[in-house]
Amino acid sequence: MSAPLLLQELERGFAALSGRQRDAAGLGAARREQLAAALADGLPGARAERWRHTSLRALERRAFSPLPASADIDAATLAAIPGPRIVFVNGVFAAALSQLDGIDGVVAMPLSSALETGTARDVDFLARRFEAADETFARLNAAFALDGLLLQVGAGVQVAEPLALVMLGAAGDAEHAVHLRHCIQLGDGARLTLCEYQLAATPQAHLVNSLMHLHLRSGARLDHVRVQAEDAGATVLARSDVVLGSAADYRRIDLEIGANLSRHELNVALQGKAARLSASGVLLADGRRHVDTRLQIDHIARDTACELTWRGLAADRGRAVFHGGIAIRAGADGTAAQLSNKNLLLSANAEIDTQPVLEIHADEVQASHGATVGQLDEAALFYLRSRGVPEQAARTLLTLAFCRVVLDGIGNESLRERTDALLSARLLQVAA
Amino acid sequence: MATEHNDIETALNRRYEAGFVTDIETEYLPPGLSEDVIRELSAKKHEPQWMTDWRLKAYRHWLTMPVPEWAKLKIGPIDFQAISYYAAPKARPKSLAEVDPKLLETYDKLGVPLHERAKLAGVAVDAVFDSVSVGTTFRKELAEAGVIFCSLSEAIQEHPELVQKYLSSVVPIGDNYFAALNCAVFSDGSFVFIPKGVRCPMELSTYFRINAVNTGQFERTLIIAEEGSYVSYLEGCTAPQRDENQLHAAVVELVALDDAQIKYSTVQNWYPGDENGVGGIYNFVTKRGDCRGARSKISWTQVETGSAITWKYPSCVLRGDDSTGEFYSVALTHHAQQADTGTKMIHIGRNTKSKIISKGISAGRGQNSYRGLVKVEKSASGARNYTQCDSLLIGKKCGAHTFPYIEVKHPSAIVEHEATTSKISDDQLFYCRSRGLGEEDAVSMIVDGFCKQVFKELPMEFAVEAKKLLEVSLEGAVG
Amino acid sequence: MLKIENLHVSVAGKEILKGLDLAVRPGEVHAIMGPNGAGKSTLGNVLAGRDGYEITAGTVDFGDKDLLQLEPEERAAEGLFLAFQYPVEIPGVNNTYFLKAALNAQRKYRGESELDSMQFLKLVREKLRVLHISDELLHRAVNAGFSGGEKKRNEIFQMALLEPRVAILDETDSGLDIDALKMVAEGVNHMRSPERAFVVITHYQRLLDYIVPDYVHVLAEGRIVESGDKTLAHKLEQHGYAWLDERRVPERATP
Repeated sequence: MSAPLLLQELERGFAALSGRQRDAAGLGAARREQLAAALADGLPGARAERWRHTSLRALERRAFSPLPASADIDAATLAAIPGPRIVFVNGVFAAALSQLDGIDGVVAMPLSSALETGTARDVDFLARRFEAADETFARLNAAFALDGLLLQVGAGVQVAEPLALVMLGAAGDAEHAVHLRHCIQLGDGARLTLCEYQLAATPQAHLVNSLMHLHLRSGARLDHVRVQAEDAGATVLARSDVVLGSAADYRRIDLEIGANLSRHELNVALQGKAARLSASGVLLADGRRHVDTRLQIDHIARDTACELTWRGLAADRGRAVFHGGIAIRAGADGTAAQLSNKNLLLSANAEIDTQPVLEIHADEVQASHGATVGQLDEAALFYLRSRGVPEQAARTLLTLAFCRVVLDGIGNESLRERTDALLSARLLQVAA
Repeated sequence: MATEHNDIETALNRRYEAGFVTDIETEYLPPGLSEDVIRELSAKKHEPQWMTDWRLKAYRHWLTMPVPEWAKLKIGPIDFQAISYYAAPKARPKSLAEVDPKLLETYDKLGVPLHERAKLAGVAVDAVFDSVSVGTTFRKELAEAGVIFCSLSEAIQEHPELVQKYLSSVVPIGDNYFAALNCAVFSDGSFVFIPKGVRCPMELSTYFRINAVNTGQFERTLIIAEEGSYVSYLEGCTAPQRDENQLHAAVVELVALDDAQIKYSTVQNWYPGDENGVGGIYNFVTKRGDCRGARSKISWTQVETGSAITWKYPSCVLRGDDSTGEFYSVALTHHAQQADTGTKMIHIGRNTKSKIISKGISAGRGQNSYRGLVKVEKSASGARNYTQCDSLLIGKKCGAHTFPYIEVKHPSAIVEHEATTSKISDDQLFYCRSRGLGEEDAVSMIVDGFCKQVFKELPMEFAVEAKKLLEVSLEGAVG
Repeated sequence: MLKIENLHVSVAGKEILKGLDLAVRPGEVHAIMGPNGAGKSTLGNVLAGRDGYEITAGTVDFGDKDLLQLEPEERAAEGLFLAFQYPVEIPGVNNTYFLKAALNAQRKYRGESELDSMQFLKLVREKLRVLHISDELLHRAVNAGFSGGEKKRNEIFQMALLEPRVAILDETDSGLDIDALKMVAEGVNHMRSPERAFVVITHYQRLLDYIVPDYVHVLAEGRIVESGDKTLAHKLEQHGYAWLDERRVPERATP
């Protein structure tokens, strides 16, 4: 059996990369090895448990060019996203759109610069091997990623202003496979707010494959808002691998409100004692969207805690897929883990698939999860209407309320308001 | 050392009270599996040609199937050629009066009433000893009500039209690896037919006993409830204590037509193996009920305390409009036991309802997984499901896992799933102890409370037995 | 302004209201009393337009409109208000936001200009002051986590803000202590005017000590069996609902 077109084209594209790109920082061999592994195992099929509800059949027959190709973007596109910010267009660092100066105690640079000038040590995360047969996209990322954000917040540094990471897709002469690799580290007691945006500057149907490493050392706190509002033609494959040190506090919110096919894998290892994770999100599958989010939360150290709150909406012919995995390892005593996944199924042709999972190998734990699939509360709907709110408006209001709980965790007020407005505007387009 | 060893031995014997062996002359088929073995098995049972062909078809299909990959179970390879697929007491009784007294004694020891005096107990029993049914009680009384309750072997001879119509109509031959194996080699089991409008006058029960060494037990149960009928069926299982793992691969099929109700209760207490995980039954069971008729209802209740490994998912296919499926389960794993159990509720008809209550208890190094699927098909308007899965941890080395799958395709469906995992609370324990209860008593009281929702679904005698079983199974789990 | 004639209503095939007549003119306060299961709450829900009630016969005119033809929000905009017996909790929807959306939707329906945030807040403050309610409940989600008394207070506050022509109070007194009851009554009394009518549904006479009605009707077995002035409420209080049975002419002897 030959490899699907998607992989064949990427293999050809790899050969067309310049030797300087491929072999920068001595990574050539690692890149080739990961590409070979991806080609050998192919794309995960229906039998791969972790891809049970997300089919790649249509995607594997498409061809994307992996050669980096930036495009000119009007800076006004970014008016709503204040600096400091770092911007990538079609996977290439856009210096003209970025504002990275003058944040004390923070080292921020594009990966492309580090590859050209930096020592191998700065980019050693790029050599990481992905062993599982279904980690095709991580392997492809390892083979192709030439740019991304490198960010280090020094120990004790408290960054007040939110930092924006913007990934823009723009139409070009081809459909691109965009590979970005980010690495963000917070030193002991450091604090940062990060806003990650995956947006469309112009309509296109690119494939975006991004992989982010996040490491919070002891007592660090990161507030992270990620908005995926790509073009309805685009495919987004995102993976976030997070390691939390002792008493680290990580709070993130994911709004999955765009793209044609979107898959996000959030893997969090609570490695240090008393590390905390709060993660929440909204999955919006309207139109013909397929939105898949897969959490794997790994409690390794004792007294760790996670609170996961996700809301899913499926309308029209959309399909929302959620997997919430919580594992508590032996020795992670005193762990508290909680997951809530509620979903609204709003049309006859939509589908919701949800799977909350608990795997517990420790004593002294409090773990619970709940998942529901249902409709808007008829009693609440009638109450609103009896006060004069028209039915459609009442439905929208209730849908918003259903999702709004996820935004509560955003500490920065202006960021919360901006994110709320973004979500509200998007939900107004949904026929509830 | 020797005394210590003896102590453990004693403790173990106390714990698994059904671990004795009955010394009875047994007829075996030599170990091994082939088409010839299946033909011989079929011939021994004087089966009609269609039955032999059906078995061979299943066998050929089984050969093409891959051994399942175990998601959360650690299972050594099974040598299917080392198993004897038929073992039966040599003296074949024609009626209960002729049953070997040793056999009657066996069931007596197990508390299963087979004697005439057992009529007092008011439960009709079919007893399956190794590969064959050794007697069914109350047949006359049941026949008067029109109920057929006999071994499946007899049903093949005497009611072939019913067997042909319903056998494998719920669990197809190639459904899964162990179901296919069962089709090829099943030796006996129970057959129940409740005609239209009849409420079965007493509880029916089958008692399964593995006695012979190096055998597997592959029984098959088929229950048909015609329109408007009702039956409550109980099933119990035990086996002697042996160092080898023995295979039990059963299939149970239930069919409920319009307005029919089937209540199926299991207390599974196969030998669990010793503290170190030596020996014990591999319990791989396919149980499925088909709510074929409108307003039909199938209710599964199970208490799983035995077996080294349990792999079973009693399921309901809710085909009829307004039909109901229920699953109530208590699964306990202690020492090195592993259980992967749960249910599937497939909503196809309109306004179908399902309810799942699962209670898992893990102690020692036991691993306990709930695995379930709630699927609402496009046709199932108004479908409702409520699922509650709770796990209780006793000790630091055990594991409790929850793997629910929820797939919903109809916008009027309401599906709710809740799960919790916690250890027995120190506060509860302390409270009980401060009122004078010993620690083990306090634990078993708390465990009993934890399981109450399931126990109350069991018929009274079974509920008492189940409670006792949990107590003995948990001995030595605390402290 | 509200005229109910021969109203028959069934719920799940069972007839609850069996030919109810009631006429309410501007400025009047009508109390509807009756034993449990008489159909009191059904009446409130049917008037507000809740699903699940089958109207098998009868008419309800509201001003010049056929009330039964209107959607719930249209009824609200026409000036009908139902204070719920069990106000619904709506987590995630801010109370202020909800009220502004409701008020402006009603104003829009009536062809009035919508209020901007400043105008709206001014109005809210004014109403709060009159009702002696703290503005704390404005910042919370609609009824979410409110105590029983807070919920009822919130209903009265909404009524004050939306200024209906006819307000129906569905057992607003149930579960309230005497202080909360007085507060609710004060709110209602403050809103009494020659243009506005109230229908107060209650099981007990107690509330009517504070909201003095012009008319008292007894609803039993789906219809008004007795009407009178406020003294009727006292009689009921003294003799209990059983007293009615003795006075009532049997409908028809069943064979």
